[in-house]
Amino acid sequence: MAATAIDPIEFELFRNALFSIADEMALTVHRTTYSAVLKDNMDYSTAFCDGEGRLVAQGLTLPSHLGSIPEALGAVLRRYGDSMAEGDIFVLNDPFEGGMHLPDIFLFQPIFVDGERLAIAATICHHTDVGGRVPGSNASDSTEIYQEGLRIPPLRLYERGRRNETLEALIERNVRVPVKVFGDLRAQLAACTIAERAFRDLVARAGVGKTRLHMAALLDHAEALTRAALRALPDGEWRFEDHIDDDGVELGKPIPLRVRVEKRGDRMLVDWTGTSPQVKGAINNTLSFTRSASYCGIRSILPANIPNNEGYFRAIEVVAPEGTIANAVLPAACAARGLTGFRMVDCLFGALAQMLPDRVGAAGDGGNLGVSIGGWRRVPGGDGVRREPFIYVDFTCSAWGGRPFADGCDGNSHMFANMASPSIEVTEAEQPIQVTRYEFLPDTMGPGQYRGGAPFCREYRFLEEEGVLQVRADRRAFLPFGLQGGGAGAPSMNWLVRDGVTEALPSKFCITLKRDDLFRLEVPGGGGWGDPLARDPALVLRDARNGLVSREAARRDYGVVLTPDWRVDAAATEALRQEHAARRGPLPAVTRERLA
Amino acid sequence: MSWRVAADIGGTFTDLVAIGTDGALRTRKVSSSVGDYGRAIVEGLGALFAEAGIAPGEVEEILHATTVASNAILEHKGAKTGLITTEGFRDVLEIRTLRMPRLYDLRWEKPAPLVPRHLRLGVPERVNVRGEVERPLDEAAAEAAVAQLLAEGVEAIAVCLLHAYANPAHERRIGEIVARLAPGLPVSLSVEVLPEMKEYERSSTTVINAYLGPILGRYLIALSRDLRGSGLAAPLLLMQSSGGLMPAAEAARLPVHVVESGPAAGVIGVQMLARRIGLADAISFDMGGTTAKAGVIEGGEVTRAGEYSVGGGIMVGSRLLSGAGYQLKVPAIDLAEVGAGGGSLIWLDAAGAPQVGPESAGAWPGPVCYGQGNSQPTVTDANVVLGYLNPEALVGGALPIDAAASRAAIAERVAAPLGLGPEEAAHGAHLIAASNMIRAIKAVSSERGRDPRGFALVAFGGNGPLFAAGMARALGMRRVVVPPSAGVFSALGLLASDVELHLSRSWRHPARGLDPAALETAAVVLEEEARMRLRAQGFPPERIAIRRGATLRYQGQSFELQVGFAAGEGPEIVEERYGAEHERTYGHRAGAGEPVEFVTLQVIGTGLPDRPRLPERLSPRSIRPPQASRRAYFGREPGWRETAVVARSSLTSPVEGPAIIEEYDCTCLVPPGASAMLDGFGNIVITLQEGPSA
Repeated sequence: MAATAIDPIEFELFRNALFSIADEMALTVHRTTYSAVLKDNMDYSTAFCDGEGRLVAQGLTLPSHLGSIPEALGAVLRRYGDSMAEGDIFVLNDPFEGGMHLPDIFLFQPIFVDGERLAIAATICHHTDVGGRVPGSNASDSTEIYQEGLRIPPLRLYERGRRNETLEALIERNVRVPVKVFGDLRAQLAACTIAERAFRDLVARAGVGKTRLHMAALLDHAEALTRAALRALPDGEWRFEDHIDDDGVELGKPIPLRVRVEKRGDRMLVDWTGTSPQVKGAINNTLSFTRSASYCGIRSILPANIPNNEGYFRAIEVVAPEGTIANAVLPAACAARGLTGFRMVDCLFGALAQMLPDRVGAAGDGGNLGVSIGGWRRVPGGDGVRREPFIYVDFTCSAWGGRPFADGCDGNSHMFANMASPSIEVTEAEQPIQVTRYEFLPDTMGPGQYRGGAPFCREYRFLEEEGVLQVRADRRAFLPFGLQGGGAGAPSMNWLVRDGVTEALPSKFCITLKRDDLFRLEVPGGGGWGDPLARDPALVLRDARNGLVSREAARRDYGVVLTPDWRVDAAATEALRQEHAARRGPLPAVTRERLA
Repeated sequence: MSWRVAADIGGTFTDLVAIGTDGALRTRKVSSSVGDYGRAIVEGLGALFAEAGIAPGEVEEILHATTVASNAILEHKGAKTGLITTEGFRDVLEIRTLRMPRLYDLRWEKPAPLVPRHLRLGVPERVNVRGEVERPLDEAAAEAAVAQLLAEGVEAIAVCLLHAYANPAHERRIGEIVARLAPGLPVSLSVEVLPEMKEYERSSTTVINAYLGPILGRYLIALSRDLRGSGLAAPLLLMQSSGGLMPAAEAARLPVHVVESGPAAGVIGVQMLARRIGLADAISFDMGGTTAKAGVIEGGEVTRAGEYSVGGGIMVGSRLLSGAGYQLKVPAIDLAEVGAGGGSLIWLDAAGAPQVGPESAGAWPGPVCYGQGNSQPTVTDANVVLGYLNPEALVGGALPIDAAASRAAIAERVAAPLGLGPEEAAHGAHLIAASNMIRAIKAVSSERGRDPRGFALVAFGGNGPLFAAGMARALGMRRVVVPPSAGVFSALGLLASDVELHLSRSWRHPARGLDPAALETAAVVLEEEARMRLRAQGFPPERIAIRRGATLRYQGQSFELQVGFAAGEGPEIVEERYGAEHERTYGHRAGAGEPVEFVTLQVIGTGLPDRPRLPERLSPRSIRPPQASRRAYFGREPGWRETAVVARSSLTSPVEGPAIIEEYDCTCLVPPGASAMLDGFGNIVITLQEGPSA
């Protein structure tokens, strides 16, 4: 152990207890939440900070919140650091003062022991709706934060144990589904209550002095683990560039993401200088979100046992100039910034793949595609006049990129947000939606020695009179890149079938739906890794039998010839592979494809 | 005199227990015979019977817990299975929930689907959420799909169509088509396995049922034949994951219910024990060589989870990160498991902090003191250094150990880098292992709004009684109970359980304004099915007990809570009970105006025995009492203490800690500040005084 005054055994026991509090908080939110976004998508996080606001332990939930707590708590402390009292609970969601995007509401509860602020419990939850132009408050085509919903600066939700009724009333009037929003706020409060109770027990056992000492040591310990892991990685500098197709407002205007990773000794720099200026569409990041993306990418190449706390952050510097999409200023809209965060993680992986070519793979589908269907319907069984809102929000993704040692995962969440898909049957019971297809798409995975993961399509039939469909997708033009000779994945596509006519929709849009409209979402395929001609023909056969790769694609992409009774024709394959090899040029390190 | 016999197959050992009507308790631990599990049972029972003078004809019932089903899943050795589903949804099984159980893991691999894509076929049909047929089943396509699967040589077929729970007609029709084209081929229809909403969970559960059917069927046929061959013609019953028993024939048809049979038996054993000694609330703690499991008895009842996954690895405390293993939505005794056991390795992380597990030295090479080539110290080595375990031999002398090797390994690998003495380091490792296991106990208690201080800790398994008192103290619990034959306690639990049938149906209705008659009718329908099935198993009406339950939630929530209710209790009472349960579990309930909805109705039917399952008093064979003392270390304060080593039978008057109770199959530690005494049932009861916590 680095610190000398600390008993290593006591420290380890303390660490176990404190991280179990953060996890217990996360579990409490999970169990008491009202909304599918929290329960199924697990779009929330819980954390435990010391009295000075340093993040000591973050619960096991959403990577994209990894860097958010320090920023948000900092904003609270700047305003209320001196006046905080027992029984206070603070709330905020303003991206320009500590928040990330408006649906993410933060709650902080300071915990006082013998008059001293010894810790602060924190929760952050993505709420189903916070008002604004569209149901779900996550339109990608808003151009100012003022369109996006209710902005809450750091405020007291409770003052010395008393509810702030003014603020609650204001929130209640400005959100479409107050029952859900307040249900989820209660879940956040319950998590803080649990944290306080468990922390007081811990302090009663360990004593105030040791608690303070151990919390500080937890940061040092994580820092020491991080630095030890970084020292074991090669020194150097690596750059990568990728593009978001557009912001959904200025259609067809590519948005460059540029990252420079510099690793020297036991420190790491992630520099986003050169990344696009902030954009009109609602995909701008706060600096805290850019940090989250950077921390997530780096975390993925470090050992699993490093705790998620500020000690880990200390060894990693993140730079993003103000006024860029990576660190936007007022009045940037940011509701749909998830897209940019996912793509920054992928872009960072592009750089890390050069640093660690045997560990980091090609691009996946680019992260969540957001589908929101909402509107107002007549209350079922009501008087025919009264209306109630409905909101269906689903963030979905499927395909990992091929890896230097294995295919990309098929039907798996992106690293940056470990989200789950809601049940079709439950969706149909609760929403005016029928899902008519949910299946993998053949011949969409980037070919490679290790192919990209398989994407799926999902079709929704709309069953209400009228509603708003809002979609945030990408990778229509700039396809998921392949590495070391692997091919690019297939693009994402959106289709609308209305009155028997099929129409292609852009990657980001907001339209009015009519009854029986059919919307079809296609997730992009993962990029491939390595020379497709080096792929084990048995794996090509398996994919072909499974209907994921057609016989034609097996020949064209892999040079594998299959017999009608599902065997590999070894001789024909050998010959075809030689033919392919002779015809093609040198394999690119990065396969980038851009469609018109 | 007649006997009831239990056989609990574990990964390493098969535990056998026989109980006579006079209370005689005979046990035997034999190595499991992997590949032909039945052989260990038949041979082991033969030896046990010879030793105890039991004639096979005196055995009236054979109860069995087995890992055959879970192993078939873990090792992908189930039957070649086909799946027929609604066209457009053939990948529901493989896509799963998209979620992964670990974050930041670039090497993550999804578990391979139990039915590969080319054996998953969609057929045109569609039932909507209200159960209305929107698109009739295309029978020709269904026949073609069945024919295609048969041509592929499948041994079983699963059928899971969207919203089949609301209208099973299409699934049943496909079942008939299979029966016509392939008479005798096992078919699992989702409406028969799990008539509940949520297509992924239902598909996964139905597929696992189909996948296991032929395996379990063959296993049970062979076992029954072997048992009959040795003169044992008594009925064979299997333990279900829910803690109830099921006749072998039923288990072959619904194998999905017997996947986690062994761990369930231990908790049922604790329930039996708790009832006997008048404990309403107890936490079971079962620690073996690689994992530790905790479960809860509350108000005399076991708690059950509605679903779980097999092969998901160790569940650390909170079960937030799902996605590992294979999902089963059937009732199971609720257990939290952590990777901590006697074989767990002690190591230092890159920043020099001491860690215990989850990697384990397993049974081979095992702890350093076994002298089988492992040099990384384990929890057992720490316990040897501390003097808690016999320094010469374990398992009643059958396993000689090298205590000096344990001490050297701890000194070199742990103590020296930490700047501690070997005993300090060993004690630290002991405490860290305990703190890891405390997370399992919290997962079933405080994380569910239950304060563990109100519970007694019932410890068993080879290592449980070594850690129980220290853990209880850290959690503020006052009482620890160590049952007799703690090392084979799960097998004893088999003898304490009843035949049970768990039925459930999706039943989504708002509670407010619900017609009480509608609830009553729906419950009665389910009850009648339970009665009918139990009658078919030979239980007369007066020996059938029925309990009703329902899961409910606040409208808009996506997580339900289960409450029980009696015949005649209407929706208002159930709704109020739900609110109270929500308050107890989560610390708050919604306002009175908040709508509550029913999600599922459940019925548990129990087939009652015609006399008590277990005799009033159990009389285990007496063991040679060791009489000695040795030094044991209990932390810097009080340091090394001369500690009495005693036999269980000598605890007729209270013994003050420190004391060690050595037995054939386990060792029990009574730390300083605790006292131990036998109760009237042969249990060691450890009482903890107020004191500093670990």
